[in-house]
Amino acid sequence: MSILFFDKLVVLDKIDRKIKKISSSNEERQEFWQLVEEIIHHKVLGCCLDNLPSEHHCEFLEKFHNAPYDEKLLEYLDEKTKKDMKKIIKEEMKLLTKDLFLLDSHKMKPIL
Amino acid sequence: MKNTAADNFREKLKLKNIEVQNSFKEKFPEAHKFFLEKGIELGKIRQHSARLIGAGALTGTLLLAPPTGSGQLPTPSEIIKSVENLKDNKIQEIPQKLLIDNLKSILPEVVRPLARDEEKRLEQLIKDITNIPAKASLEGEHLNTTYGYIGAEQHLKRYPGDILENHGPYYKEGIAPGLGAWGYFAHSKGELTTNLVDTEKWYAVVQTLYLPDWSSRQPYLRDWYKYRKVLIVNTKNGNSVVASIADSGPAAWTGKHFGGSPEVMEYLGGPRYKKGTVLIFFIDDPENKVSLGPVEYNKLNISSESLIQI
Repeated sequence: MSILFFDKLVVLDKIDRKIKKISSSNEERQEFWQLVEEIIHHKVLGCCLDNLPSEHHCEFLEKFHNAPYDEKLLEYLDEKTKKDMKKIIKEEMKLLTKDLFLLDSHKMKPIL
Repeated sequence: MKNTAADNFREKLKLKNIEVQNSFKEKFPEAHKFFLEKGIELGKIRQHSARLIGAGALTGTLLLAPPTGSGQLPTPSEIIKSVENLKDNKIQEIPQKLLIDNLKSILPEVVRPLARDEEKRLEQLIKDITNIPAKASLEGEHLNTTYGYIGAEQHLKRYPGDILENHGPYYKEGIAPGLGAWGYFAHSKGELTTNLVDTEKWYAVVQTLYLPDWSSRQPYLRDWYKYRKVLIVNTKNGNSVVASIADSGPAAWTGKHFGGSPEVMEYLGGPRYKKGTVLIFFIDDPENKVSLGPVEYNKLNISSESLIQI
């Protein structure tokens, strides 16, 4: 059991290093952390609902609301989607890491 | 001076956040409505979960994975009996080995928040072996988890103008560009006491920002956690250190739950130790008798034993 059932699948170390490097205060760092956290929650839940047949959405949301920490939610998702949801969520997080990195690339194209 | 890199990142991160939230809302309106009706922001679901875990751990209603080698959590009388057995064994065994062996039998195989009775058993074990009055709950306060992964942190600036070169001998981790959660330790170099030097040297980082009542119980919690003494136990080798909480973090999505200063990490696991499983308990020390730094509990009984490196 983690605090959230998908915690172990979400490791964005590189983004954290970037945030620590550019933040000038604790408040700023925590603001960035919270923004990333909110993005992750929406992405992961969106990814779950995307793969889950719609007739199970209500049941899943109830289960998630009642026990967001319960890692059995992954088993439930695997069963109902007939997919390896751990793998799918990890892939989604890889894409997100790339996305968030691109946000910070402020290399400008030369003006011709 | 304007922090342009941070401002630029913030602006783009906020736009990304709005874009992701809108996309979720459009694609799954029923899910959006569900959370609205429950009065929960999806972005703050961690605090909701921590609240549920806290309540469940107290009432024993969580379906936790059983500890290794045991199908059921111990009853209070079993706890007392196991500690008595421990006292008998202590005469023959090296305390550190005894601690490691007992941790193995109490802790679950997979890192997770512990149930209160597991924590009680650990408190007894720690008290008996190290003589440190460690508590998972102190004055009604409890971390979201007392068992988790610790990661290496950088030195913290103790006063305006402090630089890495003043933090020897561990320079490799560097010094954090920003300040810790409680700002500078002293207003100036002249005001930096030996006690404050030790506070930075042996500092710990805990996730106060995810405490379910962090925002609603200010400024009390901020003051309560400032430099609060904790005992950190490396669950793999038993190395233990008394540290003070001097920063908030790490972010939940780093796969870590706690942080340790370069000195703390060096003592817990040696120069290559960057991440590992630990227990973190508050220290009940109203008279400020417990010193910060390594807990050399082997010396309580066997003076020649050295701590184990991993």
